[in-house]
Amino acid sequence: MASDNREEFLNNIAEKAGRPRHQLAEHPFIPLNDLPETTLADKTPAALFDLAKQNSQSIHVTFQTADTAGLADLLNQDIQEKEAKSLLLPTDDRLAEYGLTNWMAGVTPSPTYWEPTGGREENIQRAQNADVAVGCVDFLCAESGTITVATTPGQGRSFHFLPTHYIALVPKSRIVPRSRQAMDWYDEEIKAGRLHTSNINFITGPSNSGDIEMVLVVGVHGPIDMSYIVITDQ
Amino acid sequence: MGISTTTTPFLTRVKESEKDKFMQQAVAKAQDAQWDKREASRKELGHWQDWRKLGEQIRQHVIHYLPDYLEEFADNVEKRGGHVFFAQKDTDAVEYITKLAKEKQVQRVVKSKSMVTTEINLDKELLKIPGMKLMETDLAEFILQSDNWDEPTHIVFPTLHKNRDQIQKVFEKLGYDGDNDPTHMARFAREYLRRYFLQADMGITGCNFAIADSGLINLVTNEGNADLTMAIPKTQVVVMGMERLVPSLKEAEVLDNMLARSAVGQKLTSYCSFSGEQVTGESDGPEDLHVIILDNGRSKALGTPFESILQCIRCGACLNVCPVYRHIGGHGYGSIYPGPLGAVLSPILGGYDQFGDLPFASSLCGACTETCPVRIPLHRLLIKHREVMMDKLKMDKPTTREIMKTVGLGTGTPNLFQMALEFDHMATRMFVSKKPTTVQNLYNHEGHITWAPSIAKGWTDVRDAPRPPKHTENFRRWFQNFEESKEAVRHGK
Repeated sequence: MASDNREEFLNNIAEKAGRPRHQLAEHPFIPLNDLPETTLADKTPAALFDLAKQNSQSIHVTFQTADTAGLADLLNQDIQEKEAKSLLLPTDDRLAEYGLTNWMAGVTPSPTYWEPTGGREENIQRAQNADVAVGCVDFLCAESGTITVATTPGQGRSFHFLPTHYIALVPKSRIVPRSRQAMDWYDEEIKAGRLHTSNINFITGPSNSGDIEMVLVVGVHGPIDMSYIVITDQ
Repeated sequence: MGISTTTTPFLTRVKESEKDKFMQQAVAKAQDAQWDKREASRKELGHWQDWRKLGEQIRQHVIHYLPDYLEEFADNVEKRGGHVFFAQKDTDAVEYITKLAKEKQVQRVVKSKSMVTTEINLDKELLKIPGMKLMETDLAEFILQSDNWDEPTHIVFPTLHKNRDQIQKVFEKLGYDGDNDPTHMARFAREYLRRYFLQADMGITGCNFAIADSGLINLVTNEGNADLTMAIPKTQVVVMGMERLVPSLKEAEVLDNMLARSAVGQKLTSYCSFSGEQVTGESDGPEDLHVIILDNGRSKALGTPFESILQCIRCGACLNVCPVYRHIGGHGYGSIYPGPLGAVLSPILGGYDQFGDLPFASSLCGACTETCPVRIPLHRLLIKHREVMMDKLKMDKPTTREIMKTVGLGTGTPNLFQMALEFDHMATRMFVSKKPTTVQNLYNHEGHITWAPSIAKGWTDVRDAPRPPKHTENFRRWFQNFEESKEAVRHGK
């Protein structure tokens, strides 16, 4: 079902506007200021960490830290607290980088995985059945407490939305000032052909709504609560 | 529903809205709460006026080179395997989507909140397909759908006019047996809608921004329903107004930040997503993506003084500062696009015959212009609409024209004007009631006019008018005396 009226549609716009088509190549967009890049760019890593913590907590996120050695214990504690009967993990090399290989083999409940060859219905059902999901994310934006993640074969879209509770793992070295720095990275990776993804999520705390009398309800369609674990030696 | 939400005349709608005291209180509360949150978030960001200039520049650049950006975007969607359909009219878009649904034998549709699909009346047309089940999944839209497709009252908070007891009753019809606690009702909606998500074979979303250089769609929500709509069904349909583009992901990031702060006072909404058709190796997301780019009258603004309304990013900040919206709410406007934005846009999309009253539903205080994150001169566009209707289209009533002619004659003829100044105090005697001076009733020249006929009645219906002073005490006489006394001082008298 291709559009056969594209030219007519675009010519109509050009005619109504009184401006010729095909001018953009000679007049590319050049932003008039650099506020997106420079805002908070002067903060030290320590200041960004403090800001990330403060802003994550202000959006109802449980903000935790652990080094690689203590990460498994903290995860066990979190999973126990949620009384999780099912656990979903991504198929992602970063779990091993964070020293979690042994933990994955022994954790209770025994995890299911979002599998690259697991099939659409099966992966979605695993996410739907998960009480807790532990996801690997790409960045944490200090200004807004936003985690960012690109969809991969081993960690699909529904992975971040269907489970009831969600825990995000992010290395301390991936804390950036603002969403701009994360977006610059994705833009460059996609354009360089290094990142093949159909979807990037910027997630700022658990799902919420003010649709009933403007009263804030945390936990609507997405996870009803969310924890970030910053891995301090990564 | 289409753009128009009612056939009731404007003044009747206004009177009905004025009677709805719950709605008025809810709007006032929302406006005040949003004022605090919005301004605080902008202040914390810093340099807000420079951010506004950047936002305006991005949107103006896109509108200026719109055919080029649309072409680039469509090419990139198609490179990713998606389909693009250019719809000149609402019926073209609806026809394409219903045909697609029939071809794919779609039976269950989930939708995330989208003004433009309301504009083209998509839901009701899709529901004509035998066996079709369609569910609005945004909590507010779900409430409206469940309440016999009630009309939205705000572009960001569509159920502002409903209280928790009314919503509880709506949910009870669906099997809810809990109390009126918003959290409990939201959890019920979560469970209820989750079943639909998991069975859906088509997802329909709007589009906050379409990314020209990558062919991705940017959607901004707080609930997560849009993301589930884009993740679970195998087919996704995106319906977008043709102006809703940005050059690249970087400009989407700028505008998402400005949109969240302006709409709800958040730094970013819970979910900002940038997505397209599934790529090889991924297991969820749409295997078949269709993007419908809609004109439906938008091109009528191009090349006219109204072109800047196409910069709008639908944040609703102009509604949240508008004193008229505060009194009459969304339903008073009779358009799915209410408030100052709607008063400018609706006549362009739907014509002056249907929406010609709206540009007059403004005090022209300019608060909308001041708060707009992309610097649309909203109140000036309202004046421009009035000019077009009065000067070009001669749409004013004959009586108004005669009255204004008489006023023109009176103010343009010195003798007549002098005569009016001599007698206006005495002539208004029969309309005057004597009241003490208050903050609302300053300038007390022996009473106030509490009732006036004809076009002046609109004023006295809601506030008293000051009585003209005696001609010996009016401004001209005062100024003359003042000048004479200055002259006397200068000459030492």
